[in-house]
Amino acid sequence: MTTAIMTTWRESRSYIIPAVVISIVALPVIFAVWFGVTAGGTSTWDHIVQNRLLPYTLTTLFVLLLTAVIIILIAVPAAWLVSAFEFPGRRFYEWGLILPLAMPGYVMAYAWANFAGTSGPVQSSLRDATGWSARDYWFPDIYSAPGLAFILGTTLFPYVYITARAAFTTQSLATLEVARSLGANGASLFIRVAVPAARPAIIGGLSLALMEAAADYGAADFLGIQTLGVGIVRAWSSFGEPATAARLALTLIMIAFLFLICARVLQGKQGSQLTTARWLTPTRSKLTTANAFAASAFCASVIAVAFFIPVGRLVWLFLETGPGRSSIWPPLQSSVLLGLAGAIAAFLCGLTYVLATRHSAILKSASRLAASAGYAAPGVVLGLGALLMLKTTGFALTGTIALILLIWVYASRFTSAGLEPLQSALGRAPKTLDFATRSLGTTGIRRLLKVDLPVIAPGILAASLILFVEAIKELPATLMLRPFGWDTLAVRAHAYATDERLAEATLPSLLIVLAGLGPVLLLSWRLSKSARTQS
Amino acid sequence: MIKHRFLLATASVALAAACSPSSDAPTDTVDVATPPAQQVLTVYSSRHYDSDQLMYKAFEDITGAKVEVRESKADQLLETMKAEGDNSPADIVIAADAGSLWKFQDAGLTQPITDDGISALIPANYQQSEGHWFGVARRVRGVVYDPTRWEASDVTAWSDLTDTSKEGEICVRSSSNIYNLSLMGEQIFRNDSGNAGEWAKSIVSNMARNPQGGDTDQIRAVAAGECSIAIVNHYYWVRLASSASEADQVAASAVNFIVPSFEDGRGAHVNITGAAVTSTSDAPELATQFIAYLLTDEGQNYLTMETKELPITETAALPEGVEALPEFTASPTPLEVFGKNQAEAQRLYDLAGWN
Repeated sequence: MTTAIMTTWRESRSYIIPAVVISIVALPVIFAVWFGVTAGGTSTWDHIVQNRLLPYTLTTLFVLLLTAVIIILIAVPAAWLVSAFEFPGRRFYEWGLILPLAMPGYVMAYAWANFAGTSGPVQSSLRDATGWSARDYWFPDIYSAPGLAFILGTTLFPYVYITARAAFTTQSLATLEVARSLGANGASLFIRVAVPAARPAIIGGLSLALMEAAADYGAADFLGIQTLGVGIVRAWSSFGEPATAARLALTLIMIAFLFLICARVLQGKQGSQLTTARWLTPTRSKLTTANAFAASAFCASVIAVAFFIPVGRLVWLFLETGPGRSSIWPPLQSSVLLGLAGAIAAFLCGLTYVLATRHSAILKSASRLAASAGYAAPGVVLGLGALLMLKTTGFALTGTIALILLIWVYASRFTSAGLEPLQSALGRAPKTLDFATRSLGTTGIRRLLKVDLPVIAPGILAASLILFVEAIKELPATLMLRPFGWDTLAVRAHAYATDERLAEATLPSLLIVLAGLGPVLLLSWRLSKSARTQS
Repeated sequence: MIKHRFLLATASVALAAACSPSSDAPTDTVDVATPPAQQVLTVYSSRHYDSDQLMYKAFEDITGAKVEVRESKADQLLETMKAEGDNSPADIVIAADAGSLWKFQDAGLTQPITDDGISALIPANYQQSEGHWFGVARRVRGVVYDPTRWEASDVTAWSDLTDTSKEGEICVRSSSNIYNLSLMGEQIFRNDSGNAGEWAKSIVSNMARNPQGGDTDQIRAVAAGECSIAIVNHYYWVRLASSASEADQVAASAVNFIVPSFEDGRGAHVNITGAAVTSTSDAPELATQFIAYLLTDEGQNYLTMETKELPITETAALPEGVEALPEFTASPTPLEVFGKNQAEAQRLYDLAGWN
């Protein structure tokens, strides 16, 4: 009898725990959506439907499409080059290409708009050299939808670079050797064998990057592009209608789900279980001098455009004007602490998902749905949802409650970002391991410590570092929910930049990059190391 | 798992709180054991200037009260306060633009303050008639132009910008910006919606490029020759002129600043930075005292020294650099209308295609 009850408890527990975590992650989104759906239609909503909804949606889709193209064109060739060939600087590029992960989109936008804008150094020197006025020549406009796609693409391509490189370096040696013996080489090996084999990884990384792009507010707002994210904020702040904002957010969330479904379909039956352990890195082939130079130049220009030029510009502006009067130490401290707390919360939610939902397709879909909804919702919508939760429960947004709520929103927003590395680590473990564990009757904490955690260990580091960097970069929800004395670097940078005091925004911006750089470098190092031990 | 999550989350919150830079500041939980509590003034401010910190410090020194500040965009402060409801710790709201202050009032988040001393120092149209908010500094929306292309007489009225001779010449920021919304709010008040909408449409057809960037970017664009006229607030031009960057100084000196009036000759579009006492304040006297302090010469100095706004009282000295502004006559429009017309203003801008 007791045994029967215990078994029932164990079985139901495996549903209850993930179900509770799913609710935790989904709650802020649900509140925002519920608010949007239940509020009656207003004249503002009619106005937006008639005049703005289509432009907002089309602009958003156009930006996302172009961002996807830019990401693929940068990330996939770069990942292939550094994993399949030997050329000068390869070892540096291998980790250097991850550096842009430390750049928030809004910081990239500040830097590039200043650098390449009408009055920036590039165009100024052009005018000085030629004597032209700004109207005498054409120059790519950064304050445009393609400009925004450029900013988002160069910021977010590392998501695909990391997953694609991992796929390329662990592609079955046998597959590539067979392809080679059949006469495939160079470009055809890349296009006809390597890329199709790495497709699930590429699409996985891309869907993550595009959800990030869809939730962008800071860069689009700064560049003046009318995306849905900007429209949501406008509905909320100019029209003073949170309900309308929440309704617009529904459209954005639907777009993100569309991506998710597309990704599922395109990925096909993911995780073709390999029966052998021949995850061997193919030997890197040497390139001819000309090709080696071209490969090196490609990687170098990507890193320059996505990292060194914008960072260099910010450093220049900072040195030109010097630091402001207020101390940078408190916001730095707040950023690190909130980043840590947010990363831990999101990580634990992600871990629960991955481990507890392995054997239930329904729970797995539900958890992915919840996490994706949180990830796709702009921070401003989650912040709104969180405030509504407070109002419903009668708490005040003060002190510890505000901190818990903010960390909650981080968990809701970023759990999805941690899922991918954990899931792919788990996916690599042979199915037979699971069968063996189950047949040996190992369950519960023992199973977690002895089997699951060691299996996903490589994914844990990647997941927690991505989460930390994401949390540090987060802007809108932090802006809304942070309690007194908890201004983060992002909040400080945004306050100055939107106040048109870019010089003062440079130090906090650079510190966000720097704070993100440590984890990113560690991540690069680990990835390189694991690639080496596998080869 | 879930238990661990909560433990860790709680631990991280505790850790965070222990290391907080402000952990020595009084929190909202009142410890009954402590002797007479220090009064706390909680300020919600849409400003973020280093000089404001000096101002709060000075007020602390004078009154012995503790000032706590939350800085955010006005809209976000508003939504935060709405959600906080009766629990809001805010005593004072400081926001740039009368349109923003009106939103707080409209949401029932402010309370009327009757204080003849304060009211006497502020021109009547720069304070809400029932005392819901008070202007504490002024700003004027104007135009910079390229003196090699235009004379000052070409841009003396807002309607001059709609002239077809200015096609492809105007730079201006996005319509969702509060300064543009308030400018439109006054257009609607003076010229009714239909004419105001026509004005916006004409501006759109005269634009040199899609709205982008902030006011400073518009000044730089005129200096670079991308356009020859830009709509900007005065202090952006003043700040650029007094910037540490040489390129900024060059840009500022390449343009002229002028303050257009409305076509009926009834003055310039002047706006305010203002302060309001919140409806939930548990220290309205201290809050009122704070507003009175902002209107002293010292308070005015702190408010304007870095922002380069104009003082609102007659006795306060002008901040450095502002003397370069041309003379102008302010419009007598009560600033309450900016807020009341705000949603209509955004609708008209949207219809005109002004992004």
